[in-house]
Amino acid sequence: MTRRPAATIAINLVTWAIVLAVAMPLLWMVVTSLKPQSELFRIPPTLIPSTVTFEHYWRVLTETPFLLYFRNSMILSVTTTAVVVVIGTLGAYSLVRFTYPGRETLAGLVLFTYLLPSVVLIIPLYLLMVSLGLANTIASLVIAYTTFALPYALWLLRSFMAGIPEDLESAALVDGASRIGAFVDIILPQALPGIISTALFTFILSWNEYLYALVLVNSDSVRPLTTGVMNMLIASFNIEWSLLMAASVMMSIPLIVIFAFLQSYLTSGFGAGGVKG
Amino acid sequence: MATTTARAAPAAGGLTLDRRYALLGVLLIAPTVLVFCAVIVYPLVSALYLSLFSIYTPTLQGGFVGLDNYAALLAGGTFWPALANTLIWTAGTLSLQIVFGIALALLLNENILFRSLARSLILFPYFVSTVVAVLVWRWLFNDLYGLANHLLMLGGIIDMPVDWLGRMPNAMLSVIVIGAWKYFPFVVIAVLARLQTIPEQLYEAATIDGAGPVGRFFDVTLPQLREVLAVVILLRAIWDFKEFDLIYLLTGGGPLNHTRTLPLAVYQEAFGLNRMGMASATAVLMMLVMLVFMLAYLRRAARAGAK
Repeated sequence: MTRRPAATIAINLVTWAIVLAVAMPLLWMVVTSLKPQSELFRIPPTLIPSTVTFEHYWRVLTETPFLLYFRNSMILSVTTTAVVVVIGTLGAYSLVRFTYPGRETLAGLVLFTYLLPSVVLIIPLYLLMVSLGLANTIASLVIAYTTFALPYALWLLRSFMAGIPEDLESAALVDGASRIGAFVDIILPQALPGIISTALFTFILSWNEYLYALVLVNSDSVRPLTTGVMNMLIASFNIEWSLLMAASVMMSIPLIVIFAFLQSYLTSGFGAGGVKG
Repeated sequence: MATTTARAAPAAGGLTLDRRYALLGVLLIAPTVLVFCAVIVYPLVSALYLSLFSIYTPTLQGGFVGLDNYAALLAGGTFWPALANTLIWTAGTLSLQIVFGIALALLLNENILFRSLARSLILFPYFVSTVVAVLVWRWLFNDLYGLANHLLMLGGIIDMPVDWLGRMPNAMLSVIVIGAWKYFPFVVIAVLARLQTIPEQLYEAATIDGAGPVGRFFDVTLPQLREVLAVVILLRAIWDFKEFDLIYLLTGGGPLNHTRTLPLAVYQEAFGLNRMGMASATAVLMMLVMLVFMLAYLRRAARAGAK
C-alpha cells in the first residue's frame, strides 16, 4: 500500500520512539558501566558519560570471581548443548521418520514436558542429586538442564526435520544407501540450519538459567554466572551499580555475538518452536 | 503429519525391512526415553509421592501424613493468596504483552527505516538473562539515583521519588510492566511472521468496499491473526504462570508476600521453611491449575498436527 509521505514519516517516528524506549534499559546498562564513580550519582544523571572509563570492567575481572563464573557457565552451557543436540537429533529423526507403537504418545509427552514448570521437578531432582552424591557439581546442573532443554530441542528439531522432503531420503534408499547412511548423507546436511538454531536456543537457555543453579550449587568453584553475579549484589555492603552493570554487559557477550552474526537462526527457531498456528 | 515410512521398501522383503526399520527407530529414540524417565518422569512421580509426606529439608527425615498437606494448604492462608497473586500477575503481564506485541508488530510490518535493526533491538530483552534484566531495572528503579524517578519528575508526572519495588501496589505493577517488557518480543515476532503472509488482495478488497484503516484491522488483520494469537496466548499464559526468576529476583515475593506467586511459594516452602512435603503439595496443586492451559495447548497442537 502506498501512503502519503507525512504518514510514512509519522509511522517511522512513532516506531523508532517505541523501539528506543524498549532498548533504553539496556543502553542505560552500557552507559552506567562506562561512567566513573564520581559521575554516577550526579543529579541530574548524564545521559552520555562526560568521561568514559573501563575501570569497572577491569575491577570486575580482577577483584571478583567473575572469570571463574564465566568459565563455569561456558562449560555448563556447552556440555548441555552438546548432550541435548546429539540425543535430540537422533530422537527427533526417529519421531519424524519411523513408525512404531507408542510414537504419537511419546511426541505428546515431549510437548507436555516442554510446558512443565521447573519448580515441580526441582525438589525431587535436588533429593536425587544429594543421594547420588552429585550435589554441588557442574554435572548435576547439566543433568537438571536437560529437563527443560531436551523437550525444547526435540520439539524444535522435530518440526525442522518434518520440513525435509521425504523423497530425498527415499531416493537415497532406492540407490542402495542404508538407513543410517541416508541419515548422515541426506538428513543431517538438510537439517543443519535447524540443528544450529536448536543449539543456539539451548545454549542461551542454559546460559540464562537461574533456579536450578540457585538450588543445586552453593560453592563458588562451580557456580555459574547467573547466581554468581546475583551474589555480588546481595553480598556487597553498599551496592556498586557501575560494577554490576559492567558484569551484566560482560555476561551478555555470548548473546551479543549470537545476535551480531547468527540472528537469522534465532528467528527461524521462533517459527519452529510451536508458534506456527 | 502423516508419515508413511519405508515406502521404498521392496515388496518381497517388505515386512522384515519394516520391522528392522521400526527397531532402528526405537533404538534412535532410546536415549531420549531413558533421559526422560530419569530426569522428568521419575521426579514427577516422586513429587506426587513426596506431597504425601512431612519432610524436614536439612535432615530429609519425616513421616507419612496422607493428604494432610493438601488439606492444610486448602484451609490455610498462604495458598489462596499466592494463587490470586499468580493470576493477577499472569493476566496483567499477558494482556500488556499481547496489546503492545500486536501494536509493535503492525508498526514493524510497515516500511520502516533500518527495519532489521529495529527488530534486533526489540528482540534483545527476550534473550537477555533475567539476572541482567533484573539488575538493570533495579538500578533504573533506584529510589535516589534511578533514571525512572528522575525522568518522571522531570516530566512533572510525580513530585517525589517513588518506591517502585518496596510498596504496594507499585511492586505488583512494576513486576507486571517489567515482565511485559521482557516477554512481549515473543508476541511481536510471532505476529509479525503471520502478518507478512496475509495476502495483499484482502486489504485491497476491503478498501474497495470502503473500509478505513481501523475497519481493515478489525475485518482483515485480526481474523487472520486469530490462529497464531490463540497459540501465543496459551503459550505465554503457561510460561508467565510458572515464572520464577523475574519475580523472585525483583521483589522476593514482597512487600509482605503481596507479589508471592505459586512458584515462589513452592521454593520458599522447600528451602526457606524447610518443609519439602508441603512444597511438593503446593507444586502439585499449581500444576493442576496449569493443566487447564496445558491441555488446551496440547489439543490445539494435536489438531494442527493432524492437518
